Amino acid sequence: MGRHRVGADREGRARRTPGRTVAYAACGVVLLAGCASMPDSGDLRGVESTPRQDTQVRVFAMPPREDASSSEIVSGFLEALTSDDPDYETARKYLTAEAARKWLPRQATTVLADGPGVDVEHLGGREETDSLSYTLTGTKVATVDAQQSYAPAGGDYSEPMHLTREKKSKQWRIDVPPRGVVMGKSDFQRNYMSVDKYYFATNTQLGTSPHTAAVADPVFVRRNVDPMTQMVRSLLKGPTSWLDPVARTSFPTGTALKNDDTTLTPNDQNRLTVPLNDKAARVGLSQCNEMAAQLLFTLQNVTPTVDEVQLEAGDRQLCALREDQAEEVAARGSVERATYLYFLDDKHRLVRLAAATNDTDPDPVPGALGEGETQLKSVAVSRDEDMAAGVGVDGKNLYVGALVSGGPLGEPELTSAGPSAEERLTAPSWDAQGDLWVADRDPRNPRLLLLKEGVGDPLVVKTPPGLEGRIESVRVAADGVRIALVVKQGEKSSLLIGRIERAEDGKEAERSAVSVHELRSATPELEEVTAMSWAGDSRLVVVGREQGGVQTMRYVQVDGSTPEGPAPAALSGVKEITASEDARLPLIGYSEDGIVRLPSGAQWQKVATDGTAPVYPG
Amino acid sequence: MSRDSAAAAPGRTGARPERPVGRKKAGSRWGRFLEGGLLQGGVQGSPVLRLVLRWVRRPLLPVMRLWRRNIQLKVVVTTLLMSLGVVLLLGFVVIGQVRNGLLDAKVKASQSQATGGFAAAKQNADEAAAGTADDGAAGDEHAEQNVIQWMSDLVTSLSSGGQGAFEVVTLPASAGGDTGGRGPRASGRVIPTDSVPEDLRERIDSNTGVFQSYTRIVYHPTAHKDPQPALVIGKQVNDPNNNPYQLYYLFPLTQEEKSLSLVKGTLATAGLFVVVLLGAIAWLVVRQVVTPVRMAAGIAERLSAGRLQERMKVTGEDDIARLGEAFNKMAQNLQLKIQQLEDLSRMQRRFVSDVSHELRTPLTTVRMAADVIHEAREDFDPVTARSAELLADQLDRFESLLADLLEISRFDAGAAALEAEPIDLREVVRRVVSGAEPLAERKGTQIRVVGDQQPIVAEADARRVERVLRNLVVNAVEHGEGKDVVVKLASAGGAVAVAVRDYGVGLKPGEATRVFSRFWRADPARARTTGGTGLGLSIALEDARLHGGWLQAWGEPGGGSQFRLTLPRTADEPLRGSPIPLEPKDSRRNRGLNDAGLPSGGGEKVATVPAQTSGDQVSVMPTRDPIPSRHGGAVPKADPTALPGNGARVVPRPASGARRQEDIAGPPGAEERSSEEAGQDGESSKHGEASRGR
Repeated sequence: MGRHRVGADREGRARRTPGRTVAYAACGVVLLAGCASMPDSGDLRGVESTPRQDTQVRVFAMPPREDASSSEIVSGFLEALTSDDPDYETARKYLTAEAARKWLPRQATTVLADGPGVDVEHLGGREETDSLSYTLTGTKVATVDAQQSYAPAGGDYSEPMHLTREKKSKQWRIDVPPRGVVMGKSDFQRNYMSVDKYYFATNTQLGTSPHTAAVADPVFVRRNVDPMTQMVRSLLKGPTSWLDPVARTSFPTGTALKNDDTTLTPNDQNRLTVPLNDKAARVGLSQCNEMAAQLLFTLQNVTPTVDEVQLEAGDRQLCALREDQAEEVAARGSVERATYLYFLDDKHRLVRLAAATNDTDPDPVPGALGEGETQLKSVAVSRDEDMAAGVGVDGKNLYVGALVSGGPLGEPELTSAGPSAEERLTAPSWDAQGDLWVADRDPRNPRLLLLKEGVGDPLVVKTPPGLEGRIESVRVAADGVRIALVVKQGEKSSLLIGRIERAEDGKEAERSAVSVHELRSATPELEEVTAMSWAGDSRLVVVGREQGGVQTMRYVQVDGSTPEGPAPAALSGVKEITASEDARLPLIGYSEDGIVRLPSGAQWQKVATDGTAPVYPG
Repeated sequence: MSRDSAAAAPGRTGARPERPVGRKKAGSRWGRFLEGGLLQGGVQGSPVLRLVLRWVRRPLLPVMRLWRRNIQLKVVVTTLLMSLGVVLLLGFVVIGQVRNGLLDAKVKASQSQATGGFAAAKQNADEAAAGTADDGAAGDEHAEQNVIQWMSDLVTSLSSGGQGAFEVVTLPASAGGDTGGRGPRASGRVIPTDSVPEDLRERIDSNTGVFQSYTRIVYHPTAHKDPQPALVIGKQVNDPNNNPYQLYYLFPLTQEEKSLSLVKGTLATAGLFVVVLLGAIAWLVVRQVVTPVRMAAGIAERLSAGRLQERMKVTGEDDIARLGEAFNKMAQNLQLKIQQLEDLSRMQRRFVSDVSHELRTPLTTVRMAADVIHEAREDFDPVTARSAELLADQLDRFESLLADLLEISRFDAGAAALEAEPIDLREVVRRVVSGAEPLAERKGTQIRVVGDQQPIVAEADARRVERVLRNLVVNAVEHGEGKDVVVKLASAGGAVAVAVRDYGVGLKPGEATRVFSRFWRADPARARTTGGTGLGLSIALEDARLHGGWLQAWGEPGGGSQFRLTLPRTADEPLRGSPIPLEPKDSRRNRGLNDAGLPSGGGEKVATVPAQTSGDQVSVMPTRDPIPSRHGGAVPKADPTALPGNGARVVPRPASGARRQEDIAGPPGAEERSSEEAGQDGESSKHGEASRGR
């Protein structure tokens, strides 16, 4: 009966304190109710980014079927070229043994607009023949050479191909394959990706920074065939021939991966170990750090992420470099952040806005250019944001002034003799060494000029003799070895990328020592280029118009290929555009709506209604 | 025959020894199952296995005992098992339904999506075909080769519609053998040949319809994804060249599996809670009921142990409280009645004792006066002299009666004390025999002592043992009708026994117990003028009981009787058996004689039914003895419940097989026989002479 008594006691207690019981019950109900509904407040935590779903389509090459017909062999071979075989093993099975030995798929990749077409050449009309000739046809879009460097191309593609019936097995095989690999444009975009490998500029001394400048060298690697190792191999091979005269690699000549079949993958701490052969065994620490920095820059955008690179040679660790340390080894344009955005206000004076903010209330810059005594049409601010150059409203005079209070504005550094405002000076551009570039559009004397330190005597830059037309716009890349020019010829204008070479060797030759070489088109499909600006290490943003099209804004690679990713949101009536090489800063345009900006992931926003000529430093 | 006895074993309730037996029976189901069916049956061949099983079973034994004893455990375990079963069943049903529901929805959505995809693919092919046809007559050859890029683009565009929701795979139509040189294509790093089941491919090869199947998507190692279940829907579609190829949509069931595992987890958690909750509820409820019941059982045990003042604690007004109140009322009434009876009994004993004492004083005076008269009887006339003699005789008798009454009232009052010391029973027997010698001579009886070669020593009170034996021997001589009296001594197994055998008129059935009753007489009509006080055997029985021994009687009409005294060799040692069988070997039945002394049919014993039901009560109808009253071998049967001790305590020994059989055969019909004979008492004058007790 003890149980009963206890029960009775409990009951008694409950009767004594009904309020407390009710309170407990209420608490319980509240707690349960809290569990039963979705939380509307609570703890704060970071979200780990989930890897994007990979919707890549893959082609799985099939080896030739027994007794396959000749057309089946041809289409099977062409299909195998679009597959992900690391060394095209399946494609080689369509070739005769000798052809397979001689065929060099990496030699060249031809990109056709619409895939290769096949024309059969009927020989003699006999059905039972052991030999067939085909011709692969198509419209060329681009070629990728043995150095994996992309070049836009045009014209018709026509490549012979020959099939033979093997004596022993009575199977059709290709004995004359096409040179290299050929595929359609969409297959190319699916299978290849553009990566920047980084070298150091040789003949530039960065005036404003103790570092050497890193130069991006875009190449194409196969996306699904161990891209990381491909990139490292490509980096070790040295810069592509276009960039070679002005770029150096810190890897000793002959350096390669220790084993041919190494597959490089970073470990759990995102550290990549790169085993090199004995050629690299005797490098010093600073050179090794440069090598590691090159690797880190090159591998910055691949997945899985690489945060640290460790170099090994001859079973010995050479050095290890983390990503943050790499920035101290060499400067990249894409990490030098601009402090201000500059533009001209309605009084044609130079004003500035903090670059990374949503500020819309500009301040005049210190110094003469900000005081409005001289009305300006276009400006450029040096990359260290100490100097500014401006072209007067009439385009006749170029003024250079320091961005310090009270600095007087001197005489114009340069005067153009062009007959009208449109035929005088272009907008100037500063390079990383503090030199000022500007083009004179005088139809009688078109020239590209360089002002050393912004104040030196104007130096005429030698342009390749093949350059026809007038330079409408000049922008120098942050690395100081590449220059983007908009050249107008007749009604057409195109964007050309050139290599700046400086001969520093002889004092005599100094005046004509700077030259631009090997201009190549970055926008072969555009008929008219209105405005352009560097928007990355090897990327530019271009406003232009295709033949028979309307004005569009797009990104282009310096090698002429189209980068992945979406184009910037459309904006009508763009007259000028400027972008920072740091992708985090918004794109700034000058359109019929005034100055507008495009922060990443948002729409165009208005900055100033009556401003003109927005520029980032550079 | 060992049952028809008056045992002097200290009081034990008849029900008590039965309990373990009954419990063993009730609870041995498990044990039998384990021992018989599970363990022994299967493993008899392998001793090692049996050893292992025993080793395994040993720790289980306490658990099994707990299971047998604890109703709470039983109820809780049963509840747990049943609720577990219900929860499992429910879980299976619910999970099955959820699974079907999820799958149905997924299949419907997937089918419509895939159908749209197939239509898009067809439209795409038609447009491409139309486009190339427009291009020019170069057409056929040209278009055929462009399919490579066209198909890759198709897969890209189809798969871009569902990021992660589905994957698209194309396979060449393999039916014709001519794959057109096309290879498989797959989005999302799916390995197409492993992910699409072979039978689905064959079906789609041979049919133009849409088919679906379940499969497991296998991913390329670079995708770092585990294979996952999926629904695959496929159809044969034509490319721009009108060549067929197979287009598959693979819908991973990852989300469905997650939902299902969520449901599973929820159900498992809920089920666990429900089971635990039910178990706890059962435990609480049973505890509410079992606790008072246990308390009542404890109280009842204490009550039965004599602690009548024990009561249950009662609180509240529920059924349990009513039970407790009723129980307490019962206990109170019992206590009251027992108290009254005890008071009454004490009063009566006191009264007897007081009366005896009070009678003594006047009796002494009367005695002295009677002695004077008796001395002077020769001076009286013969009639008066005879009266004086009678007076003296009856005074002797009165005195001894008073002495016996005092003695027995001492026993009743519990005042008798045992002064035990090791004695040799042979000396006691010798003294008794020599004391009875004069009487024997008078009766022409010879007293023989058997089994006195060895000393027979026991811890006993010599005075009391001598009184018992004297009583027995004198009785035997008196009722021996001049025939021999045999006194037999024996000792075995912690017990000593003295049996006194006579060949006189014997005992009628049922008398064997009654002889120990106070003032009992075989022939009530017989006057009290002769014989003893009628208390002798009662006192003897009390003496035996005081020793922790037995005093038992056996007899057969006309065959004489035997009285057996069994004592433990050391005091306070419980008796297990007696060295001398209660029924002597030379009984009529043992000799196979009937009433008339003639050998009876040999089949008689064989025909007995040796069935023995529970306990000591034997109620098997005799088949051999339709007329029990006429049967000389009729066995006096004691009602064991009427006895302080019973024959069950006499352990039958295998050596005495015959006796054992008699043990079984004897009791049948004894009771009715005794009742019948009670009715015949009057007419059976030839037995009427037999009277017992002094």
